[in-house]
Amino acid sequence: MNTSIPYQDISVAYYALAAVVMPLIAFFINVCLPGKTNKASGWVSTLAIFTSAVLSALVFSKIWGQQPLHIQQLWFTIGASKLYAGVLLNNLSVILLLLVSLIALPVHIYSTAYMSHDASYKRYFSYLSFFCFSMLALVVVDSMYLFYAFWELVGFSSYLLIGFWFTKDKAVYANKKAFIINRIGDIGLLVAIIILFTQFHTADIVQLFGDNGLVTQSFIKNGMWLAPASQLPAVYQYIACTGIMLAVAAKSAQFPLHTWLPDAMEGPTSVSALIHAATMVAAGVFLLGRVYPIFNTAELNALAIIGCFTAFMAATIALTQNDLKRILAYSTISQLGFMIMAMGIGAYASSLFHLVTHAFFKCLLFLVAGIVIHQMQHIKEENNLDIDPQNILYMGGLRKKLPFTFIAAVVASLALIGLPLTSGYLSKDGILIQAFEWSDSKEWYYRLIPIGAILASILTAFYIGRLIVKVFFGEFRLQKINPHIHIHCNDGGWQFKLPLLFLTICCLFPLFSWNPLVYEHAWIFSAFSGPGFLERVNIYHTIIPAGANLVNILVIYFAYSIYVKRNTFTFDQTGFFFRLSYHEWYIDRFYNAAIVKPILSLSNASSWFDKNIIDGFINLLKNIVLSISKITAGIDKYIIDGFLHLLTAIVQLIGNFARNFQSGKIQYYLFSMLAVILALFILKTLI
Amino acid sequence: MMSLTDFLVVSAALFCIGLFMVVSKSNAIQILIGIELMLNAAILNLVAFGKYDRLNNGGQLFALFAIVLAAATTAVALAIILNVYRRYKTIDPNKVDKLRDE
Repeated sequence: MNTSIPYQDISVAYYALAAVVMPLIAFFINVCLPGKTNKASGWVSTLAIFTSAVLSALVFSKIWGQQPLHIQQLWFTIGASKLYAGVLLNNLSVILLLLVSLIALPVHIYSTAYMSHDASYKRYFSYLSFFCFSMLALVVVDSMYLFYAFWELVGFSSYLLIGFWFTKDKAVYANKKAFIINRIGDIGLLVAIIILFTQFHTADIVQLFGDNGLVTQSFIKNGMWLAPASQLPAVYQYIACTGIMLAVAAKSAQFPLHTWLPDAMEGPTSVSALIHAATMVAAGVFLLGRVYPIFNTAELNALAIIGCFTAFMAATIALTQNDLKRILAYSTISQLGFMIMAMGIGAYASSLFHLVTHAFFKCLLFLVAGIVIHQMQHIKEENNLDIDPQNILYMGGLRKKLPFTFIAAVVASLALIGLPLTSGYLSKDGILIQAFEWSDSKEWYYRLIPIGAILASILTAFYIGRLIVKVFFGEFRLQKINPHIHIHCNDGGWQFKLPLLFLTICCLFPLFSWNPLVYEHAWIFSAFSGPGFLERVNIYHTIIPAGANLVNILVIYFAYSIYVKRNTFTFDQTGFFFRLSYHEWYIDRFYNAAIVKPILSLSNASSWFDKNIIDGFINLLKNIVLSISKITAGIDKYIIDGFLHLLTAIVQLIGNFARNFQSGKIQYYLFSMLAVILALFILKTLI
Repeated sequence: MMSLTDFLVVSAALFCIGLFMVVSKSNAIQILIGIELMLNAAILNLVAFGKYDRLNNGGQLFALFAIVLAAATTAVALAIILNVYRRYKTIDPNKVDKLRDE
């Protein structure tokens, strides 16, 4: 054991390891349990994640705000390079460790009820535990290699869970798409890791990205990327950063690799809540947090642009979608865009803070969506209706039928919009303020970033307002169309209510700051930014939260008045902007036409080439060889064997001839003898 | 005066007759007689060549030995013929062909 900082409680690292391993144990137990719908599996997984959560909380209390703990052990040696594997617990790891297990716990409890009628109940919990293990391991490992391994495992378990209902074609397409797009990012990460190892000869995160680490000491000069021990052409630094950006874009669903996330909603809703809203998609932001020192200003600007554009684009798309989960998926993309943008503008602390708050409220929104979809599904089955249970156009007025769910949804939406008293206000307005401060000292066009962010946040208010109003207010439109249907709706049992209650509390401000209006006091924020960072030095700190919230409230009222009263005006549903938004900016269509189709036709062409040309050539060879061997067989049979047969025939002939002399007749023998002797004499006389 | 040639001619004739009998007769006794004739032709030759002996009457002595031996062999041959007859109920050598390669 090799500890970088002595005199520290090493047992904390073991607690962290135990927290990571618990879900893995649950996974193995679940795999071994008999039966496909064994109810025990749900409780095994829940118990495991509960233990993880408790241990994480313990680790968190020991590490948060203290010295980081780093323990590692020699893993293996290749040539001269030694590779270490270990656990790195700093503020970033422990907050995510706690976050993941805290989000996973309510989702597990919720799933025990939500999935209870599923035919593959056990498989669901096995996958879920496996995902939790991968994700928890991802946040604590200290080496880029292990990080990469768990990065892949997280993607893989996401693939399994998106395709959980693998008999549905759409789910299979969706998980394939998610996996392929994530592979693009994985390649980027792998390239980046290889370049980092070539340059710095280590994959250790502390050595690379720690305070005064190797990456901080390296710099670019005269086209060379200089590190303390080695140097590479500067282009490698750009490639490494691009690779990391690709990885982040793929995992955190940023433009242009975001298209998998809306499709990933084909998985069970509880999975969407845990993986595709709260935890896995945050892995990209977490990666950015880990490797933050490697980015230079230009690359950070690129990140800010990508993030801002994604946030804006996804928000516009969410405006017109009718699928409940798709709206939330685009909302997730938009919020992840905010986090990436915050990283880009140097608001490191706000970005991670937003990651944490977003995880709670987005998870809550998805769980609410799950309940609503569940109830719609019941109504559909009870009345034999042919509707899409996720379509919000059929919903409405559910606040009376699902009062508890309604309250949770409203709180989560307010947090998403970022109204005061919620956690979202603290984190999101922090990002907006810092975006303005960042652009202040730069040229005018840098202003586009904060303006885009503000626009996106206003659009957020509109689309989530539309969602809430369409689902929970007004009249139940399905009943309006089919007046005779029976409706039995309720909020569900404690397995539904308890997670909702817990997450609702986590969406409110007291968990994060004693002051509901001033984000600088949030403890997560101050721990990441250090003391004295970002004092309230200028007007932005007051004007932006106030202005943004005023506009947001107006926008919410606007949405309410449009969708409930229906008398102000209706939107034109044929215009260019509507179609652009409704068809998701035609990005999927563009990818289909520009990438998928060419690749498919290329593979069809190669398949044709393989089948007809290469196989044809092989067949030709085969035929040639076959005919040659037929000829050889003929030669063997008729010439070589024929010669031998001829020989035997001759021998047989001679033998038969000679046999005639052995007739057993003594006189014949004597006569032969006489003839021979006579012949000898005659010969002798003649010669 | 009879020359050596006369003896040799007689002897050759005897031999040929014997040989012909051996080859052509279908009775084992007759074959045996043929053999005796050939043997006697040889003995006749011995006696005839005795004229040139350095030792007197050497040829005649040899002839006596040969006659005795011939008698002995004939006895043996007759015994064999007797046994053959017992077994095959015939003494035709053309029918006694069990020695051949089947």
